[in-house]
Amino acid sequence: MTWISKSITGLGFLFLAHACYSAHEHSALQSASAATLSSLASHSPSAVATLPIDISIETVVAILAICLGLVLGTPELRPIQWRVWAGKIEREGEKGFMNGDGEVDKDYVGNPFRVLESRPGFVDIRKQRKEFAEWVREGGGP
Amino acid sequence: MSSSLLRPQTHLPPSVAVQLSQQAPFILRNTPSAISPYSLSSLWSAAESPELWMTYENLMLSCLRTGDEQSAHLCLERLTERFGASNERLMALRGLFQEATAQDDAALKKVLQQYEKILADDPSNMPVSKRRITLLKSLKKIPDAVTALTQLLDASPIDAEAWAELSDLYFSQGMYPQAIFALEEVLLIAPNAWNMHARLGEVLYVAAAGNEGGADKQLAESMRRFCRSIELCDDYLRGYYGLKLTTSRLLTTPPASSRQSKADTGLPAPEVKAVERLSELATAKLSEIVRRNVNGEAGWEGYDKADIIAAQELLNREAKPITR
Repeated sequence: MTWISKSITGLGFLFLAHACYSAHEHSALQSASAATLSSLASHSPSAVATLPIDISIETVVAILAICLGLVLGTPELRPIQWRVWAGKIEREGEKGFMNGDGEVDKDYVGNPFRVLESRPGFVDIRKQRKEFAEWVREGGGP
Repeated sequence: MSSSLLRPQTHLPPSVAVQLSQQAPFILRNTPSAISPYSLSSLWSAAESPELWMTYENLMLSCLRTGDEQSAHLCLERLTERFGASNERLMALRGLFQEATAQDDAALKKVLQQYEKILADDPSNMPVSKRRITLLKSLKKIPDAVTALTQLLDASPIDAEAWAELSDLYFSQGMYPQAIFALEEVLLIAPNAWNMHARLGEVLYVAAAGNEGGADKQLAESMRRFCRSIELCDDYLRGYYGLKLTTSRLLTTPPASSRQSKADTGLPAPEVKAVERLSELATAKLSEIVRRNVNGEAGWEGYDKADIIAAQELLNREAKPITR
């Protein structure tokens, strides 16, 4: 998905650059020819201000393409409903909150209310040590 | 890996704790021991982050758990260097270290006396008073622990963690009404905590099993709690499991007695039809969760293995009488 959005954005920028270059060239050409013409005879000055329609269309298309590419490239939106968000945590665990590089988001804490059951302030370290020693004695399965 | 060091540690399975503590020497070598605020290097290196100190604290806990006392002590020293020995949280951490390394009960008593001395100087030291309560519990002095905990809650009634601990203490002693009260206090502070709703449902279910008189009422209440936990969290396995248990119990017990007793107070008893539909919903959802998780579908892998096995068993138990 990312390569599609990136290529569309890139193409859009290419078109935009091309349109800008064309517009610049066109105005340079116009002013040069207008200067030579006005030395001979007076010509309609409105022709200098108008831009050919194909350059305008290219500009608009390029901007639309850039917008489309950027929108396609946004990361998945996070749920804003409580139950959906909570369900995502329960259902997907860490995997649901990974960014593109396969790393878990920095602000991911899992279920934020889990501390009410694990209670780090009341951790019974001796019991944990005993349990751990038993786990090792049993062969250390998962 | 380092992301799990940034979260509270106590519920991690032992295999993860081993992994973390095996990496401890490496982490300790590579993280700065102290950050002086006005050094030349602070111009280009990142400023100190709270994550660094959280990592030290959690690393210390998992090292203590696995018995790597050297690394734990190093963590403690670095934290002390940064925050000073009179920091409340560090006092608690040092006490934790001494508890973990204590050889016998006499040493533990000494730690307890030390806690009491600290609390005599400063009764508002929350982390240390929590440590003292835990140590009392660990020494099997449950009544003392309960008294201390109620005193702590008198001083600070919005401490959800302490209420939850109190509920657990009462529950371990079989004092279910008190445990339920404490859990309701937790829910007043954290009304959106879906796991605490489920926990209250479980306690109510257990209380109903041992209680003859108001069992129906408590079962109905328990069912409502599980419904609320599901309302707060889509596809909540624990909630659906509890819902399944309570509804099947409600359907098997005769509801006749509950009708009259309901007339005076509280919510009316749930209608049989509604309970049946809830039971069907719970069965359908449980089987969906189990099926999708076992098949390894993307986005359904976060459930605990043991929970899934338990749900499977419940479904099998349910399926048997129908096939017979």
